[in-house]
Amino acid sequence: MATYEFIDHKFDVVVVGAGGSGLRAALGCAQAGLKTACITKVFPTRSHTVAAQGGISASLGNMGEDDWRWHMYDTVKGSDWLGDQDAIEYLCRNAPAAVYELEHWGVPFSRTEDGKIYQRAFGGMTKNYGEAPIQRTCAAADRTGHAMLHTMYGQSLANATEFFIEYFALDLIMDEGVCRGVTAWKLDDGTLHRFQAQMVILATGGYGRSYFSATSAHTCTGDGGGMTLRAGLPLQDMEFVQFHPTGIYGSGCLITEGARGEGGYLTNSEGERFMERYAPTVKDLAPRDMVSRAMTMEIREGRGVGPKKDHIFLHLDHLDPKILHERLPGISESAKIFAGVDVTKQPIPVIPTVHYNMGGVPTNFYSEVVTKAGTNPDQVVPGLMAVGEAACVSVHGANRLGSNSLIDLVVFGRSAALRAADILKAGATQPELKPAMTDWHLGRFDRFRNANGGTTTADLRLEMQMAMQEDAAVYRTSTALASGVQRMETVQAKRADLKVTDRTMVWNSDLMETLELDNLIGQAVVTVVGAHNRTESRGAHAHEDFPDRDDKNWMKHTLTWFDDASGKVKIDDRPVHNFTLSNDIAYIPPKARVY
Amino acid sequence: MSFRTPLSTARGLGSAKHGVGHWISERVAAIALVPLVFWGVYSVIVLAKLDYYGAVAWIGSPVNATLVILTVGISFFHMQGGMRVIVEDYVYGHLTKAGALLANYFLCLLVGALAIVSILKVALGGA
Amino acid sequence: MVQLRLPKNSRVTPGKHHPAPAGAGKTKTFKVYRYDPELGQNPRWDTYDVDTTACGPMVLDILIHIKNYMDPTLTFRRSCREGICGSCAMVIDGRNALACLQGHAECKGDKIMIGPLPHMPVVKDLVPDLTLFYAQYASVEPWLHTETPEPQKEWKQTPEDRAKLDGLYECILCACCSTSCPSYWWNQEKYLGPAALLHAYRWIIDSRDEATGARLDELEDPFKLYRCHTIMNCAQVCPKGLNPAKAIAEVKKMLVDRVV
Repeated sequence: MATYEFIDHKFDVVVVGAGGSGLRAALGCAQAGLKTACITKVFPTRSHTVAAQGGISASLGNMGEDDWRWHMYDTVKGSDWLGDQDAIEYLCRNAPAAVYELEHWGVPFSRTEDGKIYQRAFGGMTKNYGEAPIQRTCAAADRTGHAMLHTMYGQSLANATEFFIEYFALDLIMDEGVCRGVTAWKLDDGTLHRFQAQMVILATGGYGRSYFSATSAHTCTGDGGGMTLRAGLPLQDMEFVQFHPTGIYGSGCLITEGARGEGGYLTNSEGERFMERYAPTVKDLAPRDMVSRAMTMEIREGRGVGPKKDHIFLHLDHLDPKILHERLPGISESAKIFAGVDVTKQPIPVIPTVHYNMGGVPTNFYSEVVTKAGTNPDQVVPGLMAVGEAACVSVHGANRLGSNSLIDLVVFGRSAALRAADILKAGATQPELKPAMTDWHLGRFDRFRNANGGTTTADLRLEMQMAMQEDAAVYRTSTALASGVQRMETVQAKRADLKVTDRTMVWNSDLMETLELDNLIGQAVVTVVGAHNRTESRGAHAHEDFPDRDDKNWMKHTLTWFDDASGKVKIDDRPVHNFTLSNDIAYIPPKARVY
Repeated sequence: MSFRTPLSTARGLGSAKHGVGHWISERVAAIALVPLVFWGVYSVIVLAKLDYYGAVAWIGSPVNATLVILTVGISFFHMQGGMRVIVEDYVYGHLTKAGALLANYFLCLLVGALAIVSILKVALGGA
Repeated sequence: MVQLRLPKNSRVTPGKHHPAPAGAGKTKTFKVYRYDPELGQNPRWDTYDVDTTACGPMVLDILIHIKNYMDPTLTFRRSCREGICGSCAMVIDGRNALACLQGHAECKGDKIMIGPLPHMPVVKDLVPDLTLFYAQYASVEPWLHTETPEPQKEWKQTPEDRAKLDGLYECILCACCSTSCPSYWWNQEKYLGPAALLHAYRWIIDSRDEATGARLDELEDPFKLYRCHTIMNCAQVCPKGLNPAKAIAEVKKMLVDRVV
């Protein structure tokens, strides 16, 4: 093995990732007087939060009466009761303050006539515990994520957060179950770095790119999840993968749910507004899992549109062009570029597309990473936190509601910072790092750098993506999932046969893509194994052989460990928290999920 | 090679807190030159028809003399301003740049002054 | 004087030719700028005959195809592939653009040139060093400045005042504009460039901001602001259809408003 040397850094907190949650956490830690580093593989404003369109949910009540309890009820119901209700209460209670904070930082929210933040309707958001749709999603036209991310980056600059940009995180430095830092590879000069910290906060986003067609960016490779698995820690509820109903047919680019929130609707080949049949109360504003299933069903029954009858139309052509221009300018542009469609005149061809991972690194509502140790299902892993899509708090349970992800980012980014400020002492002495803790990081890095097998990264990635796309889709069957498990087993074994062509250290994107692929594969394996294991249907996990929700046997979180060397998966479970944080709201017991 | 931080480089020497004056004066001069240039073209046509004495008499009119002086003066002023920007844009190096700026300034001043004095001389009947 | 030729070690030499595999469909040739800092050689133009029937419609699809199937060493930044992250800005066919929004069918000529953003140091291949560009953005203090104690809820803003931010806040910091600006080419250490100035104006015009005057003070400088000579390349190339030149003109107008 070539000799590598680390350049050492010591911080109180190291945040990995500079999307919405990473920036919020880093900002909070810096403001609390903790010496904080934020390391990120892309410049902060290029993180995938930038692509979020529709908005951020919070019960501000700007468009009529609202209550955080209604928001909580919707989130619990949206999660198909798999969400932890203490965490959901924390989210919904703290949502309005989080949005006001963003506004005070300068987010250019759209406005109502009386100067307040404009809110639009979104799927699954209702008033008075499911009565009718409500306008709860705060929006900056259809570029809310972009507006938020740029504002938060500006705010980080104002607070002199220390960024390490275009550093690719390699692995967590673990010391007998305690996280002591993280190693990273600096792309622009090829040096390796060892970041020691009292607390590492993973904010690395989802792993959407494990599928062939995803709204996710090329960089959404769930590097934090991959590192967590290699650190011997479990991931939770990975079988729950959200398909967004309206990805542009062909390119997979996102068309926000806000399009339906502003009055858009879906039609099949007969021109029928079919959602009225599937969700009579909320129609096109049903939660994403239901809309995606309805669309898939329509296509299966031969009512898809297009020459192959394999997609669905989203209509905005009945809306006032002024409204489209003011509130949905971004998607009007995307539809033009990627589907060649003028939204004022033609419908947009759409198809359910992988969008979000409800699963991730299990945490409590302080954002501390937990694992199951013996009989304790809530054993905190010292020195490690996770936030945002990388984490599974779990507020989204089996299905996330649209606009709940952006609020998740800021509320739990903040909670992580508050917790870190609570439990850490700035500048506290840290134990010495031993080479043994990081030798295997270098071993893995070097192995891939010099990989000289017969399978290219691109080929293996495609093989994984096709397996996931075909066998862990909107609807799943035991046969398909068994095949998926088999195919992913083959893929993970082929990691030993990878071929990397570029052997350099500076901006070696061939190697970076390979390291990312390795991160993806572990998570794809546990996703499909978890899905095969869960013999019920809940939220985004629609199992045709077990079409009903089974609260008796399956009201529990799946935990999956992945042994990197053997590729074997260990499955266990954690109970769903059936309690709330306060007495202001009682536990919402499960019932049938109809809209 | 420099070990300055990027922010330090970007901030440089800070804001000069002036520039709007120069910007306004360039525009004011440009606006003034619009009618003056039209008038100048008209004058050339008029002058072309006149013989030497006619031309001297024409310049001798206070209105014509004033307008010719303004046209020439403002043109040189405007040229100096424009040239200065070009030098600032393309000439690097402390000395070269200072030299070019000074040369521009002095040349415009000299040639402009020479032109104005000549016009005055004619206008005031010295020809 | 301004340097009109590239420094000796930056001059681009002819590079390798990568033919399309046998049995390829319709091919198109792409001439791509390659530079590997670890080789110690001058940059070169590699050419790739790409089977366009095997790729998506955008130039980014071409680059990804090259990387996946022809030459894995080719390096470029990319992320969202839908024109919102601003990673894949580069010169395509003589014009700054986002590779993900630029259709390859729209590029004329039989050899389509792809290079890194002009007048920036090149780290590798199509990856430029944008450190200065980002620092200039930071130098305009792109955050809301307020002194009045924050309200319990939001700062109020009328829809009309909010509309003034349209055409400004959408900037994705791709650097297409600044690196297309001749003024920025010649004076990038002193001129802030269109992107940073557009952002400066975005905060100046925000009705919630309380530092308008101080922001204008910081901009009033013969170089930081007034190096804009309304060449308009910025507005021409902006992949988001924004007009930085107009924003700069508005700042200049505001500076005049202060004194007359």
